[in-house]
Amino acid sequence: MTPRKKALILPALGRAWLALVLVFLYAPILVMAAMSFNASPFYQLPFEFSTRWYQDMAGNAQILAASLRSVGIAVATTVIATALGTAASVGLFRYDFPGKRFLQVMLFPPIAIPWLIIGTAMLVFFFAIGIGRGTPAVLIGHVALALPYVIVTVTARLSSFDVTLEEAARSLGADGWTVLRRVTIPWIAPGIVAGALFAFAVSFDQFVVSYFLAKPGDSTLPVLIYTAIRKGFTPEINAISTIIIALSMGIMFLAARKARFGGGR
Amino acid sequence: MAELATPADKRRLATLLSPAYLWLTLAVFLPLSAMLFFSFVTDLPQDAPDWAFTLENYGKFLENPVYGKLLWKSLKLAATVTLFCILIGYPCALVLARVIKGRAREVLFLLVILPFWSNSLVRIFSWAIVLRGNGILERTLEAILPWDIRLNLMFTTNAVVIGLVHSYLPYVILTSYLALQAIDDDIIDAARSMGAGKLTILRRLLLPLSLPGLLAGAVLVFVPVVGSFMEPRILGGRVGTYFGTVIEDQFVAVYNWPLGAALSFVLLAVVLLIFALTSPILRKAQT
Amino acid sequence: MSSVEISNVTKTFGKARALNDVTITFEDGGFFALLGPSGSGKTTLLRTIAGFSFPDSGTIRIGERNVETIPVEKRDIGMMFQNYALFPNMSVADNVGFGLRVRKVGAAEEKRRIGEALELVQLGQFANRMPHQLSGGQRQRVALARAIVTNPKVLLLDEPLSALDKTLRVDMQIELKRIQREIGITTIFVTHDQEEALTLSDRIGILRDGRLVQVGPPREVYDRPNSAFSAEFLGETNWLPEAVLPGLSLPGGGEGFRFAVRPEALGLSATRPEGVNALEARLEQRVFAGAMATCIVTVQGQPWKLIARDRDLPELPANAPVWVSWAPEDTVAVPA
Repeated sequence: MTPRKKALILPALGRAWLALVLVFLYAPILVMAAMSFNASPFYQLPFEFSTRWYQDMAGNAQILAASLRSVGIAVATTVIATALGTAASVGLFRYDFPGKRFLQVMLFPPIAIPWLIIGTAMLVFFFAIGIGRGTPAVLIGHVALALPYVIVTVTARLSSFDVTLEEAARSLGADGWTVLRRVTIPWIAPGIVAGALFAFAVSFDQFVVSYFLAKPGDSTLPVLIYTAIRKGFTPEINAISTIIIALSMGIMFLAARKARFGGGR
Repeated sequence: MAELATPADKRRLATLLSPAYLWLTLAVFLPLSAMLFFSFVTDLPQDAPDWAFTLENYGKFLENPVYGKLLWKSLKLAATVTLFCILIGYPCALVLARVIKGRAREVLFLLVILPFWSNSLVRIFSWAIVLRGNGILERTLEAILPWDIRLNLMFTTNAVVIGLVHSYLPYVILTSYLALQAIDDDIIDAARSMGAGKLTILRRLLLPLSLPGLLAGAVLVFVPVVGSFMEPRILGGRVGTYFGTVIEDQFVAVYNWPLGAALSFVLLAVVLLIFALTSPILRKAQT
Repeated sequence: MSSVEISNVTKTFGKARALNDVTITFEDGGFFALLGPSGSGKTTLLRTIAGFSFPDSGTIRIGERNVETIPVEKRDIGMMFQNYALFPNMSVADNVGFGLRVRKVGAAEEKRRIGEALELVQLGQFANRMPHQLSGGQRQRVALARAIVTNPKVLLLDEPLSALDKTLRVDMQIELKRIQREIGITTIFVTHDQEEALTLSDRIGILRDGRLVQVGPPREVYDRPNSAFSAEFLGETNWLPEAVLPGLSLPGGGEGFRFAVRPEALGLSATRPEGVNALEARLEQRVFAGAMATCIVTVQGQPWKLIARDRDLPELPANAPVWVSWAPEDTVAVPA
């Protein structure tokens, strides 16, 4: 073997490894999706195509109510977290003030502390101040978890913003709000969109915090699925899970393209 | 960046920042403080008027060896999962960052991190379908292999590990990839021009230069796995009792919130210790 | 130390032909510059000699060995990169010792040779510094020490001085030349800076579209360019319009040649000087630059450039009618 050919062996092995890992990551999801179209409730083979679980799911009032609630909470979380997060990012970016570093560090606990701890802490506190469990509590929790993601994403976009553009606008006579509206916001728009998509995903996929804060019988979709799994598998759960994963992967695909996650080109 | 010159600037800054930070305070920082308080009381003040301060909740953790054992079990689980994530994920990141180029790299990277943002509960559930006795995995292996096979993976520690590795693998790939991709190609070319082979380059350049990224990924895996409860419940069945599931029980089944709060804070202390131990290296990564 | 022989090397990337039948010999101990505009293939040629890329056809010999299929790490070359490419996680000594460690020369020998190399580049006391603690010029020296410490057969430099500011660059040019002479290593460097190429090298090669258009000592290439491209790429040229040729004294040729004059060969006067080639012109602009001055004049409607010592130029108003003149032997004849 020539030295040049020999040099190609390691990269080829590496590619094969990457392919195996992709199989590991996607195979169970694909199996689940396939089984949601299998007629047998016990995942029996041979495979027999059927949409009966999707029909059952559509007729299941509990699943529908939970889906509606999950989407509603996710949309509300997206709107609130994006608005508050974008404002905070602009504030952190535009001004230098004592304590700024501290405010930036404060964004990490909601991301870094296990959600089990945060979720149980919220439960305890919300009960103590009278909010208790239920959809408002879930929404408050979701917004708090989504905020750091929005702020980090928008700040990342802002950091590539050329401040002299604002100075140029000011030199042309624009006041602070005009500069914000006409120069700054248009530039960070892709960051805001990506942040909004992250916020939606954080809320829509959120299980742990919802689990502690949702009222039984009034739960979000992931909590409903968890309860159903622990009672025993049902193929309807399979069907709704397939829809969820397709939806959340689709959203994240868009977010990643917007944010040029992974270094861009 | 502007200094805060005028009172108008200060007002504007407060308008921009306070909504987000008040929200975080209400929903994260006050709850954590409240839970710290509750971990030192006998009963919840809103339930029992005769509540008192006590160290008993932490005392229970120290007295009853079950809690310590479960914490140790959770730490071992986290170490195992982290190790597998590194062994599987780092080579992947290496291939993505240093072998694959251009458009293919972008697409493959997206494919790798996509599951990381999809619903983790659903992904764990999908493993339950694959691993269950007489399930898809066993049938597939039976079809390929000539002999009968009984994996009996479902409701074992192995199933929990597989599910958790699947859940957290993208973290390690993501952080390692970002660190590896940031290494200047010329540095590698320079090493090769001096006669270094692939292994030397890996050992003396790529590994040390990407170590902060790899470590960040490891922390991002280790910390949530120590506190995991949903994955062991679904995939571990009866062997799936861990420190996280005990905390969950205090809040949703046993309703001993002060004990749950104390156990949560023990967990938080472990997490903070991990951050403290790794932060010197992680901070180096930012500069 | 060895010569490097490139024979009929061709390299394509997709449809683009980066190197087109290149044949050239780099003599043992010579200092050779590869010069050309971006995209001319000079960097590809250097990386092909280094072994980062492999020719589609043709042969490369370093010393007695055919290396065209051998990857870079087995070629025994030294290379310096545009941005130094120092290993950020290693001290200066570890950077320099990297190639020795790979070659397993032994700890004592390694230490001795690191010391020698750092002395050579005058960085003896910096051995324990980290790269980010060094200035640009110091990093440059570490990169050079690192490239030569293994006694490679050939030293390859990829735009080695382009990241330095101007004064530092001139110092480093002198330094580089001194070190190259001292160790006598065959050196090939790529640059787009023609002045650097002329200063440093004893032979230069000009590339265009993957082909070697001219090779020779700097003075020869400058004085006798074999094409309009060479003439324009190396130095500046004022082309003589066809219409004025009959009245001038020109070197040899005639048919099949174009003629030009370098800006520094031209003189400027208010009246027609005797015994030299002279043309009527109009002075457009005179730009003072300290010791030297640049004049823009119009000859037969074409702008010409003239460079002279400021004190040698007569005081003339703008738009004045003038004469530009040059010695007949300063006419550059270029095959058309």
